[in-house]
Amino acid sequence: MNGLDLPEPHQGGPLFTITTEPRLFSPLDERERRLLAGALTYQALVHPGVDVRVTITRANGSTPPSLTDQATQRVEWPDHRQVVGTLGVLSTGQDTPPTGTKDVVVDLGGPVEQLSGLVRLPGRLNAVRNAVRARVPVAFDALRQRQTDRFENRRLSRPLPRIGAFERPEHTAGSAQPPAVLFGMHWLELGGAERWAAETVRMARDAGLQPIVVTDRDSAHPDVVRDVFDGALVIPLTHPMTSDDESTFLRALFDRYDIRGVHVHHCTWLYQRLPWIRAQFPGTRLVDSLHVLEWRTGGFVDIALRLSNVIDEHHVISPQLRDYLVDRQGLSRSKVTLATLADLTVTAVDQPHDAIGDDGPADRPLTVAFVGRFTQQKRPYLFLRLAQTLHRQLGDRVRFVMHGDGELGDEVRRDHARRGLQSVVEMRTPSTPVSTTLEEADLLVICSDNEGVTLTSFEADAHGVLVISSDVGSQASVVVEDLLVPRHPGPLLAQTTDLVVDLARDPDRLAALRAAQHDKVAAFAALPRARDWTRDLYERWNS
Amino acid sequence: MTLDVAAVVVTFNRADKLGRVLDDVLAQERPVDRVVVVDNASTDHTAEVLARYADHPKIEIMVLPENTGGAGGFATGMARAYEQGADVVWIMDDDCYPHPGAVGALLHGHAAAEDRMGMRLPFACSVVQWSNGDICEMNNAEPTWDWAKLLVHGQQNVLVNSCSFVSVLFPRWAITQFGLPLREYFIWFDDQEYTRRLIAAGPGVQVLNSTVTHDLGVNRGVNFGDVNDGNMWKFEYGVRNEASYRWHREDPFAAARFAQRLWQGLAGGNVPWRLRKRLAKKFVEGIRFDPQPTFPRTVL
Repeated sequence: MNGLDLPEPHQGGPLFTITTEPRLFSPLDERERRLLAGALTYQALVHPGVDVRVTITRANGSTPPSLTDQATQRVEWPDHRQVVGTLGVLSTGQDTPPTGTKDVVVDLGGPVEQLSGLVRLPGRLNAVRNAVRARVPVAFDALRQRQTDRFENRRLSRPLPRIGAFERPEHTAGSAQPPAVLFGMHWLELGGAERWAAETVRMARDAGLQPIVVTDRDSAHPDVVRDVFDGALVIPLTHPMTSDDESTFLRALFDRYDIRGVHVHHCTWLYQRLPWIRAQFPGTRLVDSLHVLEWRTGGFVDIALRLSNVIDEHHVISPQLRDYLVDRQGLSRSKVTLATLADLTVTAVDQPHDAIGDDGPADRPLTVAFVGRFTQQKRPYLFLRLAQTLHRQLGDRVRFVMHGDGELGDEVRRDHARRGLQSVVEMRTPSTPVSTTLEEADLLVICSDNEGVTLTSFEADAHGVLVISSDVGSQASVVVEDLLVPRHPGPLLAQTTDLVVDLARDPDRLAALRAAQHDKVAAFAALPRARDWTRDLYERWNS
Repeated sequence: MTLDVAAVVVTFNRADKLGRVLDDVLAQERPVDRVVVVDNASTDHTAEVLARYADHPKIEIMVLPENTGGAGGFATGMARAYEQGADVVWIMDDDCYPHPGAVGALLHGHAAAEDRMGMRLPFACSVVQWSNGDICEMNNAEPTWDWAKLLVHGQQNVLVNSCSFVSVLFPRWAITQFGLPLREYFIWFDDQEYTRRLIAAGPGVQVLNSTVTHDLGVNRGVNFGDVNDGNMWKFEYGVRNEASYRWHREDPFAAARFAQRLWQGLAGGNVPWRLRKRLAKKFVEGIRFDPQPTFPRTVL
């Protein structure tokens, strides 16, 4: 359709046409092309019947894209941006010639590798906070956990306010437009919630519905290039947008598609627009998927609760969330569906491999692994300290693999070197498949200070790896009770050390616990599956 | 939506009655989805009785290494049922014979009461009869001031403040919010403390058409005038626990009123002074005794 080879939605045809052929001064990669397509779709939809002249820029350094926000309306930009091209677009579906022109500047942001870094909040206080966290992460963490205790107690003792309920207006007549699902996502980056969201996008397409994906968090959106988004209408929103543009944009989507349902995955912007959608488009079903209870901030669960009166169904992936919504917050049991992601990363709960092998750990080192993003939530620095203590106690009878990367990556690598753990802890980047690490591991240590249910736990069990985990979220659903350790860093390190020492010396106990873990994971896996629930839902939406 | 109902039976050295209890639970028209039997380290032939049920697909037997009392047993069994994902937990002693339809009536009565009241109600209990059909004096639920609120609308339900652990069901949300019975109480007043703890969320309900038989030797309520050397150990727990409850969960005046009632009962029964002194010490111990609720884990 165009010289840029921009992606198109697989149903309903393109939402804009090219009016001025692109002039490119620098080639765009696939990620940039997809971001640009999202930006052009948005700009065309909010300026219907107007010839939109687009200047495309690219930034140096860690600048996130600017695709839909008010800054796109200004024809000046900071010095660190360079122009990479220009073109003109016009929204399709207009019977009359263009009524004017509008200039916008779309910035594709900096390189991916410079955008996945730690999100540093501005201000001197935050700089001090980050410095303290980097220097004394365990002490910082201990204080943080005490603060979390207070938040947790407060949250459990307070009911949350709700928006007012209103009668669902009369169902409007069906439309002749292509049937679609509007998805709200946080961003298109790695994460358990994102992995599930991407899977639902695929399932919507498989069900014959056009997936429309909006995101609301600044990001380079590296996953936009994944196959699962082929044919989806992906519009990464950047804020702030004007309120006029927001409603024009949403209304245009509803005009161009018969949006049968909205499925919100961790997307604040879309959550907050659900009451308006319910009022204006009452035929559209509204559901969300919730993953984790954030004791500190409330997170998406609190937003979902606040808006529950306009949401038809809440999908939760863990029993903990079900109990929180139904038992603590009083939502109707029929409105909350527990459907797990147990099969999202492993196809079936097979018999565990004999990870220890015939020779057993007595004849070779016990391998203890950490697998996950290097973030504050996952607390990789605790694993390094654990490795140091265990190496001191067990010497070469234990080895460690640390698999991952992320915003704390540089700090972790510095800490790794400073503690002299180069020969003790093998560092692996995400370029190595997780399965390779799990094939080698006997024990997986999950140090997180918050989780829903870690998908890694299922993968570990499928590889016969025993999981030791902090007792957070619904980890109790998949981790053997003896191997749940406190969230606070001091007790976590002490108890995990004792457990690993004991397991290194007692292979029989390790084997027995592995069997108990497999039973527990199997019981969890027997709960309803999210895939089944979603498939049924989308089939109903498309019937 | 179908509820997952778990029955919890706590037993200690009542092998002769336990089999009938389990049979009556399993014979309910509205079948329970699972039965958790907590054996409080019985020393009689309870193990032989339980062996008959070991392969029953609905029965899980938990044999504790030591006797934890009724309070510990119910806390353990309720936690287990909760972890297994039960929506409703129905608990009883090992000498409680549920009559046909008892659990179905409880579920139905509880749901109807909630519907009429427009709110969630934290427990529903049966009417407890003695072997001859009389009301069992030890297990009378205490009605609320507006106890007839549902009766006047044709329901066979009475609003209550407390009841004993002889055929009472708790919805999952109540356990999530309020935790488990206090194990530390060991025996006596654990049921009163627990049900009174739960009514912070609203009254309980006694379902009049749900009935059970409590197979006690004699039909007599708790009376401090009955204290003797043989039953002293139970009264010691009872006094300590109730003193603790009145002082810490109500107020010192409530504790004083309990002391007065205790004194009058002991005096009325001419209980020997050495036993009165021991109970006075237990009262003082109760003031210092303040166990806190524990909460079960969410597993399934």
